[in-house]
Amino acid sequence: MNNAIEIINLHKSFGDLNVLKGVSLSVKEGEVVSVIGPSGSGKSTLARCICRLEEINSGEIRLYGTRFDNKQHSNKELSSMVGMIFQQFNLFPHLSVLDNITLTPVKVRSFTKEKADKLAKDLLDRVGLSDKIHARPRQLSGGQMQRVAIARALAMEPQIMLFDEPTSALDPELVGEVLDVIAGLAKTGMTMMIITHEMLFAKEVSDRVLFMDDGRIIEDGTPSEVLTHPTQIRTQTFLKRMLAHFGEQLTKDTSGKDDQYGS
Amino acid sequence: MDLDFVTLIPYLHMFWAGVLITIRASILAVILGSILGVIVGAMRVLPFKTLRSVAAAYIYIIRGTPLLIQLFLIYFGLPSLGLNLPAFAAGIVGLSINSSGYVGEIVRGGIEAVPKGQWEASQVLGLSYIKSMKHIILPQAIRNMLPAFGNEFITLIKESSLLSTLAITELTMVGQQVRSVTYASFETFILVGLIYLFLTSCIGLGLGIVEKRWQVS
Repeated sequence: MNNAIEIINLHKSFGDLNVLKGVSLSVKEGEVVSVIGPSGSGKSTLARCICRLEEINSGEIRLYGTRFDNKQHSNKELSSMVGMIFQQFNLFPHLSVLDNITLTPVKVRSFTKEKADKLAKDLLDRVGLSDKIHARPRQLSGGQMQRVAIARALAMEPQIMLFDEPTSALDPELVGEVLDVIAGLAKTGMTMMIITHEMLFAKEVSDRVLFMDDGRIIEDGTPSEVLTHPTQIRTQTFLKRMLAHFGEQLTKDTSGKDDQYGS
Repeated sequence: MDLDFVTLIPYLHMFWAGVLITIRASILAVILGSILGVIVGAMRVLPFKTLRSVAAAYIYIIRGTPLLIQLFLIYFGLPSLGLNLPAFAAGIVGLSINSSGYVGEIVRGGIEAVPKGQWEASQVLGLSYIKSMKHIILPQAIRNMLPAFGNEFITLIKESSLLSTLAITELTMVGQQVRSVTYASFETFILVGLIYLFLTSCIGLGLGIVEKRWQVS
């Protein structure tokens, strides 16, 4: 069987700045992979290359065996393969919550309005925002906006979901509600790649953690391998710096305990 | 100093006729100028380099030269190429072309003011370029454009006074005619100015209502 995501020797630069310096990665179907690392390490660019928001310089990106790293496939085809959650939510401010979710099922997947409405209601129920169905994005909190964005992405029923620092723009007290939704999604067996600075969350929810630095994946293993017993000096340094913020929680064995990752 | 507006009363029908021509010219020019301007503005944002350069050069020239010279070129210049336009038609063409340069910039600015994330979300959710433009970008861009667009309409009404140089009997021309008969220069041009102020205020008021309604919905 093909891997959900297969990346071979991916290079990406912006002008003179080499952001990705040969990234290779396989993600199996149903795997939940968290990507951690310092700012500027290329985590976001990696996710943006996978969903074709950035053109790659060289290498290959295959999703279920098919290359999507060129313009041969339409946005429509790509959207059935991969969904993306942005740090800044990017909800459509001129549309209600309902219309934010139903627009692309109707315009891209040719759903009837009734079918799309039904789907939107189910998804809003799932992210716990049924009561906000007719609200405008500006009337929502950041956490609610991100949950709507997740519902909107799920409405395209993609095979793979990417999360680009989904909680980085949120007030601390709103982080938990979004992480709960993502953790719930992870349990459904969806293939997910989560770029995050929430170390506890990464530890709880992931099957695998990648540590990126300077445009390369330098550590790749189970959460406890990478987060608790990292082998690379750079990973250790990074985690030490993160621990200075988050205290001792990470080093404790938190397996079996849910809902401990809110910051 | 005595101001005697009563002397103007016998000529009010002339002012009225002039106002109608001013309004007609402005409305025609704003419609034609907007159509042309939207095309030019679209050319400025479409992902085709040649089109973008052509539109940029057009806007550069139109905005960098006086409307009066543009009018003279069309009315007095084009006949030497064998193209004779009646004064009113030449005036409308000149005003429209002039306005299209500014509208083009308004359209470009309005579209570019929509955050990049809106394009990205549209693309990732599977919308094509055209569908993104239609359903996501333009509805937001038009809201951005509205105030500037209203200002452009107001500017156009005021600049239509230059049509008097082509001997079109719009409001300003009527003012000159009435002044030459009555010698009541001050009174005449105070009245003319007030009429322009009234026209531009109507646009401003109408625009305020539209903007407010748009914000509620």
